[in-house]
Amino acid sequence: MIDLYLLGQFLVITGLLISAVVIYILKDLLSAAIAFGVFSFLLSLEFFLLQAPDVAIAEAGIGAGLTTAIFVIAIRGTTSPVDSGEEEES
Amino acid sequence: MKSKEILTAIIIAVLAASLLLPSALMVFGSPQNDGMDSYMIDNGQDIAAVNNIVTGVVFDFRGFDTLGEALVLFTAVLGVTLMFRRMKEDEEYEYE
Amino acid sequence: MNMSRIVRSTANILFPFILVFGFYIIVHGHLTPGGGFQGGAVAATGFVLLLVAFSPDIIRDKFSFNSMKYTEALGLLLFIITAFVAIALGTTFFFNWLANGGIIFGESVAFGANPGILNSAGTIPLMNVAVGIEVIGAMGLIIMYMLSGIEGGNKE
Repeated sequence: MIDLYLLGQFLVITGLLISAVVIYILKDLLSAAIAFGVFSFLLSLEFFLLQAPDVAIAEAGIGAGLTTAIFVIAIRGTTSPVDSGEEEES
Repeated sequence: MKSKEILTAIIIAVLAASLLLPSALMVFGSPQNDGMDSYMIDNGQDIAAVNNIVTGVVFDFRGFDTLGEALVLFTAVLGVTLMFRRMKEDEEYEYE
Repeated sequence: MNMSRIVRSTANILFPFILVFGFYIIVHGHLTPGGGFQGGAVAATGFVLLLVAFSPDIIRDKFSFNSMKYTEALGLLLFIITAFVAIALGTTFFFNWLANGGIIFGESVAFGANPGILNSAGTIPLMNVAVGIEVIGAMGLIIMYMLSGIEGGNKE
């Protein structure tokens, strides 16, 4: 008999580790911001598994919603050196 | 990656894990001093007339904390407003 | 600086649902998990979705900086007034002066499981609504000022 609680926590923590590494690896800033949103969502799921639904809702709203929006706005307002370099070459 | 960096990363990870060791030894959900929270769990529903004890603690028993939280948010907006305010024509940033 | 048509359509469809869910979390803060801060954050996410998806020309007519500022200050003021009324009634600061027999939200609850009586908890729903209004204004204002900082953004 598999313990569903332990299985869920194992899956969520594995996803947290993978998404944290993915944020570090990705070169495209927008993809990294979306990966950070996935990380925040998995963190809120972990809070829910630890029986803290208040913190889970706050994390889902602030971390996955507003922080990702702030990152997207900041990325829209700046130019990437990689993109502008490619445009100069072509 | 150099072997020195990998060694540094492993040492940092082991140190962080050793800091987490005392939390693994405790039993989850049963603190040593439980006088205050058992009082709130026993009497919170009668005093604050609320079924959700977390909200009862946040807005009734610990109202000052919530006031401080609201003021922190207000101050954060004040700081963002000062950072992004529209400058006048001849005004420039002065760094000291 | 519109985003793509897919993003705009999704924002249009999702906006009322996100708003209603945020207000649900705020109003039911004394019954279910959540409360003023969490519900305000969820509702502010809906506003932010519109702000990010549409161009500043369209947004400028709908939301002004002053209205968001007034919203935030109104929420904080309501919260402090609710706390100060307790002093005017002769009790201590932050006393729950509506609980157990007030005019509204005055129903007392029994010890034990949660029957879900919305008309209970005294001043706690009022404070939830006040904090929710404040958080919506604050989060929207932060995002609007950050948009005004970038080129072609929503100027004040």
